[in-house]
Amino acid sequence: MRLYDLFKLALSNLTRRKTRTFLTILGVVIGTASIVVMVSLGLGMSQMMLKSYQDEGSLTMIRVYESYERSDSNDKNKSQTELTDENMERFKTLDHVVEVSPALDVSVTAKAKGGEGDFTIRGVSQYYLSQLSLRDGGEIPKKDQNELSLIYGNQLLYNSFYKPKSYENIEIDPLKDTVFLTFPASSYSDKKNTVDTDDQTAKKQKKYIIPVSGILKGGRDDWNQNSYNAFADIDTLKRFLRKIYKKALVPNPRTTKNGKAYTYYVYDTIYVFVDDMNNVKDVQKQISDMGFSVNSNMEWLESAQEQLGMVQMVLGGIGGVSLLVAAIGIMNTMMMSIYERTKEIGVMKVLGCDMSDIRNMFLFESGIIGLMGGIAGLLVSYLISFIINFLTSDNGGESVSMFIGYTDGGGALSYIPLWLAAFAIIFAIAVGSIAGYVPAVRAMKLSPLAAIRNE
Amino acid sequence: MEPLIKVRDLYKIFNIGSNKVYALNGVSFDIYKGEFIAIVGTSGSGKSTCLNMLAGLEAPSKGVIQIANKRIDRMNEAQLVKFRRQNVGFIFQSYNLIPSMNAIENVAMPLMFRGVSYEKRMKAAKHYMELIGIGDQGKHMPNQMSGGQQQRVGIARALVIDPQIIFADEPTGNLDSHTTDDVLDLMKKIVSEEQRTMVMVTHDPHIASWADRQLRVVDGHIVETVINDSSPIEIKIKEENGEPPFCVVTPIT
Repeated sequence: MRLYDLFKLALSNLTRRKTRTFLTILGVVIGTASIVVMVSLGLGMSQMMLKSYQDEGSLTMIRVYESYERSDSNDKNKSQTELTDENMERFKTLDHVVEVSPALDVSVTAKAKGGEGDFTIRGVSQYYLSQLSLRDGGEIPKKDQNELSLIYGNQLLYNSFYKPKSYENIEIDPLKDTVFLTFPASSYSDKKNTVDTDDQTAKKQKKYIIPVSGILKGGRDDWNQNSYNAFADIDTLKRFLRKIYKKALVPNPRTTKNGKAYTYYVYDTIYVFVDDMNNVKDVQKQISDMGFSVNSNMEWLESAQEQLGMVQMVLGGIGGVSLLVAAIGIMNTMMMSIYERTKEIGVMKVLGCDMSDIRNMFLFESGIIGLMGGIAGLLVSYLISFIINFLTSDNGGESVSMFIGYTDGGGALSYIPLWLAAFAIIFAIAVGSIAGYVPAVRAMKLSPLAAIRNE
Repeated sequence: MEPLIKVRDLYKIFNIGSNKVYALNGVSFDIYKGEFIAIVGTSGSGKSTCLNMLAGLEAPSKGVIQIANKRIDRMNEAQLVKFRRQNVGFIFQSYNLIPSMNAIENVAMPLMFRGVSYEKRMKAAKHYMELIGIGDQGKHMPNQMSGGQQQRVGIARALVIDPQIIFADEPTGNLDSHTTDDVLDLMKKIVSEEQRTMVMVTHDPHIASWADRQLRVVDGHIVETVINDSSPIEIKIKEENGEPPFCVVTPIT
């Protein structure tokens, strides 16, 4: 029998019982839609998470800290795990490492518009600075420029300053408002005799006005790992600090056994930039093996994605159950159809229709049910996906996005990629055919004698 | 002259509980090309079982059925289906047209099973419908047609594959007496004009008398064979073979 004839026959059989066919297809529509929507939610969540991690900081960046586990070992080892320039160079020689940046943190107290605030000035390399995206008009401080200039994190402007008594938040604009910075007093003195306290207070009171070179992009609620800090070029910062702290270099220097301050810098953090996300883990391990404490967003992302994978499986399972019910519906419909058409099948067999043709005819019927259900289900899924994304977008209900937990604007909660769409349709056809197989084989094996029997 | 169908010692035994029921109790006969055979008997005589086995719809318990030099008792189901598709037309008592197809599509259906293209099979179907005198009813659906018209469509469907043998199972069982005569007349005409072989089962001796030769079946035995002496084919067989067609008759004792 020709394929076209088989197809036509199957189609005409389906249109004979329109309501029943429609209801069966409806089952597949619901099954397909629930699978697609559930998986799309999982994918959307995973995408959102990826995005939120990317917002927090680059996924190719590794943070290196001094390992505290080893801090009690002897000095020789200790110097090896200190975050010195020397060690930073070692990191740089590792494979896949593109760039390294030290981070030298100085906590400052600031006053502006009658308000007070504390934040950290973080001296970083030019490479790190170049990764920051600034608001229009800002520019990145040059390497080792004459005068120290700062980039303010966007959330510093809104959330860091408050009135001293009422603790009411004050919004400042560093470009307009004058910000007076006070640097902490040095905890180190190279003189043996105790320093006059008045002298120290006087020192502490010294206020600086440091020019602003830019402000990070983003508004009040756009958080990322940089948004509460101010940034400066490391070399300029070092020079600036040397003026204040002289030989101690930094406010709280480490000291050697005999009480002398270190003559080199020990950084708080070293950032290592890797060429690709996939190499992060590898590089991270190498640095960790050197005796440093490391972490990266990649690491968090991986564990978060593992958890999300579980959620996705549960969601997919829920969808799968409804498709299973739809498959049983198809099977039921085909069985009924066969009982109704027992005589007809018998006639066809008497007239010489091949057994395999009869089987294929029924497989086509159930396959068409699957196909139609798959296509309609996909359309329904796109609609549902659109509605979900509309409701969870910024103008939609807050409660929904709160429930999901990822409130970052822009990302779609439900995401249907092309492969999911294709997979849904193929899967629906497969489910239809598999559900139709047992009835089809049963039809094939029906006795032609049924045609002879006269009721 | 060689017979087209050879049946030898054919048994069909049903096991009902612990009892053995002999539906067919050892029949032997020959059928020649061009003959119109009627198998006559009351219900339960075994006549339908005999026809079903000849058409390969039921497997014999014992015995030999040879059609066109092929042992159909040794074929499996797939081979039987193929055999029917190539050689056998079938006319049913209740017409058994497919309700979702119109008349001409019903007629063309056996050709569809052969994989004949749409145009070719429609042309063939049209030809046979005209031959039978219902050429103008191709677009009618089965439920819009009378019993006689439906049975004519059924006959056209049996003829469309150009079969060697046509089996008819009580073809006039659901028709009134007037239409019955029309249909039988038509069948007889086709057998003689188109040189077909037809095996018809009926319980009505009057209908059976239309045939060239009657085989009367009682309790699984052929008890009588009646040859229509005026039938040209029977005269021809007698002339060529010197004796009437082979048939083992077991008279009622």
